Amino acid sequence: MNREEMALFKDKKMGFFIYLGVEVVMFAVLFATYLIFTPATQGPHPSEVFEAKIVILSSFFLLSSSGTLWLGERALKKKKQAFFLIGLGITKLFAIIFLGFEVYEFASFVKEGYGMSASVFMSSYYALVGLHAAHVAFGVGWMGVLFVQYFRRIPLTLFTEKLSIFAYYWHFVDIVWVFIIGIVYLPYLL
Amino acid sequence: MEITLFGNTFMMPSDVLAAWVFSLILGGIVGFLILKKRRLGLLWEYMITTNHRKIGILYMLFGIIYFFRAGLDALFIRTQLAFPNNDFWVFQGEKYNEVFTTHGTMMIFFVAMPLLLGLMNTVVPLQIGARDLAFPFLNALGFWLFFSGSLFFNISFFLNMTPEIGWTGYAPLSTEQFTPGAGTDFYVFGLQISGLGTIFTALNLIVTIVRHRAPGMKMTRMPLFTWTSLVTSFLILIAFTVLAIALYLLMFDRMFGAGFFSGTEGNPIYWQHLFWIFGHPEVYILALPAFGIFSDVISTFSKKRIFGYPIMVLSVMLIGFLGFMVWAHHMFTVGLGPMANTFFAITTMLIAVPTGIKVFNWLFTMRLGVIRFTTPMLFALGFIPSFVMGGVTGVMLSVSAANFQFHDTHFVVAHFHYVIIASTILGIFAGLYYWYPKITGYVLDDKLGKWHFWTFLIGFHLTFFPMHITGLEGMPRRVYTYAESDGVTGLNFTSTIGAFLMGISMLFVIWNVYKTYKEGRKVGDDPWDGRTLEWSVASPVPDHTFDPMPVVKEIDAFWFAKAAGEKMPVTDKVRASPIEVKSILPFLMSMTFFFLSWGLTFAWYWMSILSALLLFGLLVIRALRDEREGFYGRREKDES
Repeated sequence: MNREEMALFKDKKMGFFIYLGVEVVMFAVLFATYLIFTPATQGPHPSEVFEAKIVILSSFFLLSSSGTLWLGERALKKKKQAFFLIGLGITKLFAIIFLGFEVYEFASFVKEGYGMSASVFMSSYYALVGLHAAHVAFGVGWMGVLFVQYFRRIPLTLFTEKLSIFAYYWHFVDIVWVFIIGIVYLPYLL
Repeated sequence: MEITLFGNTFMMPSDVLAAWVFSLILGGIVGFLILKKRRLGLLWEYMITTNHRKIGILYMLFGIIYFFRAGLDALFIRTQLAFPNNDFWVFQGEKYNEVFTTHGTMMIFFVAMPLLLGLMNTVVPLQIGARDLAFPFLNALGFWLFFSGSLFFNISFFLNMTPEIGWTGYAPLSTEQFTPGAGTDFYVFGLQISGLGTIFTALNLIVTIVRHRAPGMKMTRMPLFTWTSLVTSFLILIAFTVLAIALYLLMFDRMFGAGFFSGTEGNPIYWQHLFWIFGHPEVYILALPAFGIFSDVISTFSKKRIFGYPIMVLSVMLIGFLGFMVWAHHMFTVGLGPMANTFFAITTMLIAVPTGIKVFNWLFTMRLGVIRFTTPMLFALGFIPSFVMGGVTGVMLSVSAANFQFHDTHFVVAHFHYVIIASTILGIFAGLYYWYPKITGYVLDDKLGKWHFWTFLIGFHLTFFPMHITGLEGMPRRVYTYAESDGVTGLNFTSTIGAFLMGISMLFVIWNVYKTYKEGRKVGDDPWDGRTLEWSVASPVPDHTFDPMPVVKEIDAFWFAKAAGEKMPVTDKVRASPIEVKSILPFLMSMTFFFLSWGLTFAWYWMSILSALLLFGLLVIRALRDEREGFYGRREKDES
């Protein structure tokens, strides 16, 4: 990257970090909402609802996708194109698998009668975890666009920049998931 | 009146009918003028622009249009309250609830916010030597999101579905159980969309101010309007995000059967907390930029550097910080307990300290200065005593024990109009008169400006001063009538006279703009003998500014260069400017939000899904048409 590109990239990086700050506030309010309303006095208790198996499986895929993305990014820096493509591809695949588990989890809750209106605990659960899942879904689409950009052969510096911005997003989404495990699931699974 | 259309019969009250007729006539005239003068090209240019000055103009234009609508609402309110047991037109009962809801919501979100953001957009880059905001595309998106949200909110009136929940949207009234109609949804989505735009613009301003300053323009040399814009932007990021989540939760309550704010387990007080964690900082979001404008105006028209610059900056930060610790003073009567009430009473009183410091610094700036009583300066001078009065009633209200008497009376109405009109509205007027030559190249007529100032200021005090007394006599807010035996007839009638005087004062503005345009006397780049960088560029501001880039060596560098009879030193070593781009995508993206919300409001889910798909499609198009593609890799050949 030359000096001018660097300046523009730093603008974008700063802007994106501020945006992630906005996301932090968003999720913080939703976590607060969850903590206020859980466990609810009526309706199902969280320990009856959550299933450890799904949480562990989905966490495995989502959290390791951060690692595969990091490996892919490193491969691009070392100009190992194939490894990069594999890294980004696995990241996307893991994200889709995670989404699959989420959909399955939500569907099984609804089937058991624990829908949005089952209790205020379930409402706050869906509002929080659902928003996170939406972020993952958005990331899956974003990775699709990155693949297109890669094969369009846009200037490499620009592509590296786009990839780093996505990586910030993706790691952030993973960190939120860690908090979801710690605050939403873990207290009621132990 | 009943209207039959496509076999359906609609009830259309006469005020809605009047709005249709009025809007169609006005829209027809505007459309005719555009076609006759062949200005469609201009319209298109503004729809695709990402230039900060043009977007600033758009913000201000719509802010002023909505100002007239929300002002009209105020006149309806005051006419209804002019006499005891009055029955003015339709504005009783629910209609009265609607009219004070739209008045409050629009004045805050669609008048004060866009006017301030418009001034920031136009002026901040010029004050710090930036060639544009850091992300021009995002800036356009921010504006069009505001536009789309405000349009969504406004359209509810034409469908006779106006929200009637107050600008605070208190639960459980705002939940589905009590307002099942679409009105509240218009409130929820209107604010959600425009709030998103506001967050983007705040983010953009921060990056611009932190990273795009001219060489030598240290943070400690920035004009105070830029400083207040920076602090305000940080407040926006936090406050508007909390509002976004509050509205998101309310949407779940209303549409998807969640129960956060009502029912046996939900908690209406939680809405109040979330709303005021947004709502109180919002008050400072409105006031701080106005403080910045006054600081610049007072300094310019006193021919003196602002007194106590570091303390001024520090007090702005302190106000911003304390602004997040006072929200529960809106909830003293909720019953949070004596400990909470005491805490919030003390933090509220503390805010008076930095504010008081600022007031004294403005006074000391004028002391021994060479004061010129121009229109912007008059607004600044009118601000100081009026705002202090609002501040004093604020301290009164912060006494939580006494607050039980004041709560929900016209005393509160008097207080917040005193602070918001005196700071924000007078500040916006001062800013508009002050920077009008920079934006258009013309100076607004000073005589008409003074007429505007005096009628507005007198009208303002005449309207709101009596409300202190009616409030203390027990007149509740948001109630559409009172009895003769209440003994508040004379005071209410005085308020109504004042309101109409303020209305008349706005006619002077229209006349002034028209007259100035007709006379067409261009003024130079620096009509006020200004101190800051924006006066060094041409008026009206061209699309490309700061070429060559000035080097800043001190506060008010432009002034001292003029005083020394020199030109400002320049340099060609400048960082990369934001890349200019013209695109219709921001407009289209914003409109998908409009239709997405429309679909959700009326349960036309196909429309929401279609709009969401369209939005993602547009995002992909945006990603593939990145303007930086042509810019990157120019120096080194692409290695892949």
